[in-house]
Amino acid sequence: MTFSLLHATDFADRLLYKIVPPLKAGMIVLADRYAYTAFARDATRGVDRQWVRELYSFAVRPDLTLYFRVPIDVSVDRLMARRVKLKFYEAGMDLGWSANPVESFRLFQGKVLDEYDQLVQEFGLEVVDAKGSITEQQRYVRTLVTQHVKMSRVEMVDDEPV
Amino acid sequence: MTSPSDPIEGLNGNGQAGRYYGRGIPYLPIDGYPGKLIAIEGTDGVGRSTQIQLLREWLEVKGYGVIETGWTRSPLMQPTIEIAKSSNTLNKLTFVLLYATDFADRLEKEIIPALKAGFVVLSDRYIFTALARAGVRGVDRQWLRNVYGFAIAPHLVFYLNIDVKTLIGRVLESRGMDFWESGMDLKLGDDIYDSFRAYQLKLLREYQSMADSSNQRRNPASPR
Repeated sequence: MTFSLLHATDFADRLLYKIVPPLKAGMIVLADRYAYTAFARDATRGVDRQWVRELYSFAVRPDLTLYFRVPIDVSVDRLMARRVKLKFYEAGMDLGWSANPVESFRLFQGKVLDEYDQLVQEFGLEVVDAKGSITEQQRYVRTLVTQHVKMSRVEMVDDEPV
Repeated sequence: MTSPSDPIEGLNGNGQAGRYYGRGIPYLPIDGYPGKLIAIEGTDGVGRSTQIQLLREWLEVKGYGVIETGWTRSPLMQPTIEIAKSSNTLNKLTFVLLYATDFADRLEKEIIPALKAGFVVLSDRYIFTALARAGVRGVDRQWLRNVYGFAIAPHLVFYLNIDVKTLIGRVLESRGMDFWESGMDLKLGDDIYDSFRAYQLKLLREYQSMADSSNQRRNPASPR
């Protein structure tokens, strides 16, 4: 619960200082992870799914949400190839499912991916196949942005009298 | 503001003592725990800690195991909350969420284990303080009630009632008025006395409306 609430606090702070002001000014905000990360991770940790959704009800609904999907094996292989030291919470070590960080990561993140699959349905996330090359992915992402975000309407505004 | 579907109504209202108010914490089932939870509510400087100290002594002499828990006293969050309060970046949403995190930590690490072990838990302030402060600051009540749906309904809630005049006298006699207890963040005025008075009046009104919507026995903290 504290894990969930601390992240929500951090999110609320960033929402009010970093996200809402540029939106009001008519800018495009790119968010690296959003409330959906919390929905997936907190549910995997056993927090009530509906409660987390209500907790984040103060969040702005994105115009477009991209979900980069990879199978758990690809994710583990990539991290291992870069010899990344797995972080305690990222590997879900707090849950005590395995004493081996890699095994724990596999178990925990595997369940997180299952949660994401549900979120894709529930919130209509756009899935990007992240197994492909970086160029391919970026090309697809640009197509999606063109399709879903009415870019022609995006312009800086400063129309309110101060 | 309250509707019958609210998980929390008034001081303890719809809650079933010893159970979660709302959706609870799925990984921590608490049904049938032998301990008792007693919450002592009331505004800043009303005399909660004095009453708790006396109550604790009495209970312990009678042979009960007693633990105390208090608002913002979690080891995880206390330093963070102090830092946050000393800066200018705290807004009403992060203010509320930091306190909720502190409460969640104490619930999981102090309150639930003590209830499981059959202790009497004396809580110096409870979620009604959060609801009152949020009410004054215009935070969405329904949202906050949902957030606190993981709280446990106490077996007994005391509300130490006081009028603002007596309160001002007491606070000035003891430690003086502080920034947050005077609601200076609300910018009700530059004068700390005026701000304290206005803010505490609003707070007392919030507490009172919660007390009115439940069947609390009245026993004023100030003789009239």
